[in-house]
Amino acid sequence: MSFSVNLRDVTLKYGKEDALADVDLTLEAGKIYGLLGRNGAGKTSLLSLIAAFRKPTTGQILVGGEPVWENAPIVSRVALIREGGDFDDSDTVKATIETGHVRLGFDADYAYKLADKFELPLTKRVRELSRGKRSVLAAVTGLAARAELTMFDEVHLGMDAPTRDAFYKELLAEYMDRPHTVVLSTHLIDEVANYLEEVIIVDRGRILRHEEVEAFQGMGATLTGPAESVDAVASGLEVLAEQRLGATKSITVAAAPDAPTRERAAAAGIEIGPVGLQDLFIHLTEPGKNGA
Amino acid sequence: MFDDGTPIYRQIADQIKAEIMNGSLEPGGKVMSTNQYAAFYQINPATAQKAFRELVDEGILYKQRGVGMYVADDARDKLAADFRERFFERVLAPLVREARQAGIPLTDIIDYLRAQEGALK
Amino acid sequence: MPALASSQLPRRRYSLGLGLSWEVLRYFKYWIIAVLILSFLGPLALSRYTDIDLSAWFYTANVAKWFSAFVGGGFVYVLVPSLIAAGVTRRELAVSLGVFGTVWSAGIGAAAIGGLLTERFYYGAMGWTQAVELNEATAPIGTWGETLGFAAVYPLLYLAYFTAGTVIGVASYRWDGTGWLLVVPILPVLFSLDNALYNTKPFGPGWLGFLGRFVDEAGRGLVLAAIVLVIAALAASAYRILIDIPLRSKKA
Repeated sequence: MSFSVNLRDVTLKYGKEDALADVDLTLEAGKIYGLLGRNGAGKTSLLSLIAAFRKPTTGQILVGGEPVWENAPIVSRVALIREGGDFDDSDTVKATIETGHVRLGFDADYAYKLADKFELPLTKRVRELSRGKRSVLAAVTGLAARAELTMFDEVHLGMDAPTRDAFYKELLAEYMDRPHTVVLSTHLIDEVANYLEEVIIVDRGRILRHEEVEAFQGMGATLTGPAESVDAVASGLEVLAEQRLGATKSITVAAAPDAPTRERAAAAGIEIGPVGLQDLFIHLTEPGKNGA
Repeated sequence: MFDDGTPIYRQIADQIKAEIMNGSLEPGGKVMSTNQYAAFYQINPATAQKAFRELVDEGILYKQRGVGMYVADDARDKLAADFRERFFERVLAPLVREARQAGIPLTDIIDYLRAQEGALK
Repeated sequence: MPALASSQLPRRRYSLGLGLSWEVLRYFKYWIIAVLILSFLGPLALSRYTDIDLSAWFYTANVAKWFSAFVGGGFVYVLVPSLIAAGVTRRELAVSLGVFGTVWSAGIGAAAIGGLLTERFYYGAMGWTQAVELNEATAPIGTWGETLGFAAVYPLLYLAYFTAGTVIGVASYRWDGTGWLLVVPILPVLFSLDNALYNTKPFGPGWLGFLGRFVDEAGRGLVLAAIVLVIAALAASAYRILIDIPLRSKKA
C-alpha cells in the first residue's frame, strides 16, 4: 500500500518571501523519484510540506489520497529524513533507534541489522557521532521505518563514497523487497541516476521539470567541431552552454538533435556526445535562465 | 557500466540481444527476473522491466505468466537481420567517414579486411 | 526517548504519555535518589550539631515545583522536533503531553505528600520539630490532619508549574530567541498565587511574588480556583502554540 502524493496549487511563504509558489505535483505510488535543485531552490520546503512538518500557506496536499496535515494514519507511515536527522542529540544511538517504535511499520530487527552493518556505536550519544555516522543513523531510521512514502533529503552528506554506495544498495534492496514510494533529494545526481524512475527539478520555488529519467538521459547533447559548422548546425536549437577552444567549438543543446541534424552534423565533422544528468541539471538551473 | 547517452533500459535490451547472438542465452532459455537484473546492475527495477517490455514487443522474449521470461525460438533469426543493419550503420558508416578524413583509400581497407578474415580461418 | 511497547495507532498517544513519565524517572534517577537521601539523612547529620526544627522535605517539595517546570519545558522543546519527525501528529503529541503532565504531577505530588507524612513520623520519632518558615517566623505544621492538608495541594501546584514550563518550552521552540520571553507574564502570576496559598516564606526569588498583595487577602478556596483557572489557560495556550507548529529547518 504505497502512498501517492498530490500537491495542488501549493504556496509556502516565509514571511513575505515565496519558498514555493503555485506548485502542482503528482507522485505516483511505488516509484523512486529523484528531487534535484540548487541550494535554496525549495527542495527541503517541498519535502517538509509533504511530510506535514509544516503547513502550506495556501493549497492542498494529499498523501495516499488524503489530506496529510494532522492525519495520524498517514503521517505515521510517512518518513522524511532530513540531513543530520531530527534527533534529540542527548539521546544514545540505541534510544534514537527505539524512537522508531512510534511508527506503525517500524522494523526493529532490520534497524539493528543495519546498525550493525554500518557499524553504528549503539551506546554513544548522538552528539558524539561524526557527521558521517550521524547521516548513517538518519539513513537507518529512514530505512527501518518501512514507511509507505520515504523521503531522504540530502541524507548522504558526510557519508564517504563506500558508505553512500552501501546505502543506495540497501535502499534498492528494501525497495524491491517491499515496493513503496521513495524520494531522494540530492546533489550527487550521477550517483543515484540509475536508481531513479522519474526526476523532478525544482528551481526558485517552482517545479522546473518532471520527467522520466530516460527523458533526461536523451534530452541534451554536446556538439563539438569546427566553429562555423557547429554554429550552422546549432541555429534553431536551444543552446544551454557554449565553449570555444581556438577554431573548435563545443555547445550543449537542450534537446537531442533529430536524425537529419545528426546527419548534417556528421557530414560537417561534428561529433555528437551525450550530456550527463548532472551537467544537464547545472545548465537547466543556471542563474539567469528561466526568466529570473 | 553504462554510457551516458543511451537510456539504460535500451542498453540492457542491447546486452540481452548480444547475449542471444553470442549464444550465452539459448532460444527457449529462461532470462533473469527484473529484480535480479535490478539487483545485479544496481538499477531501478522499472528500468529493467522497460527493457523486457521492449524485447517482448519485438518478439525476442516471451512471457510465461507467473513463471518468467524466456527467449523466443526465432529470436536469433530476428536479431540477425537487425544486427546486419545496425552493423552497417554503426560500424561501417563511421569507418568510411573517418577513412576519407584520413585519406585512406577504400581499397586499402578492403585488402586489410580480407587479410584479417584470412587470419581468422 | 521512550521505548514504546505498543505502537497501536489509536492508543499510541497514551502509551507515549506514560512512557515519557517513566523516561523522566529513568533520566533523572540519580538526581532523584540523591535528593531523597539528602532530605532524610541530611537532618540526621545536622542533628549532631544543632536542633532540627525545620522540615527538610518542605524544601525538597518546593524544589520539585521548579523541577516540574523544567521537565515540562525541556521535554516539549526536545519532543516537538523528534516526535513530529517520527510521524506523530501535533494533536497526538498534545494529548501525550497532557497525560505526561497529569501522571507526573500526580506521581511526584503523591511523593511529596507521602514524604511530608513520613517525615512527620520520622521527626516525631527523633523528637524534632517539623516546621516551615513563615514570612515572619517559623511555625510547626500542626496535627496529622493539618500536615496532610498542607501537603494536599502539591499535585495541583506541580501541574501548574509543569504546564507553565510546557508553554514556555513550546513557545521557545516555535519562536527562536523570543518565545522564552513568555516567562515574563507567566512566572509572577504563578508564583504569586503559589505564595498566596500559604503564609510561608516564598521559595525562590521572593520579588517574583509581587502580585501576591492582590490575592493575599483572598480566601484559600478562591486562590485554588484561580490556580485551576491559570492551569487551564496555560494548557490552552500550549495547545494553541503546538497545534500548527512548524518544524524548524535543519540549516539556514
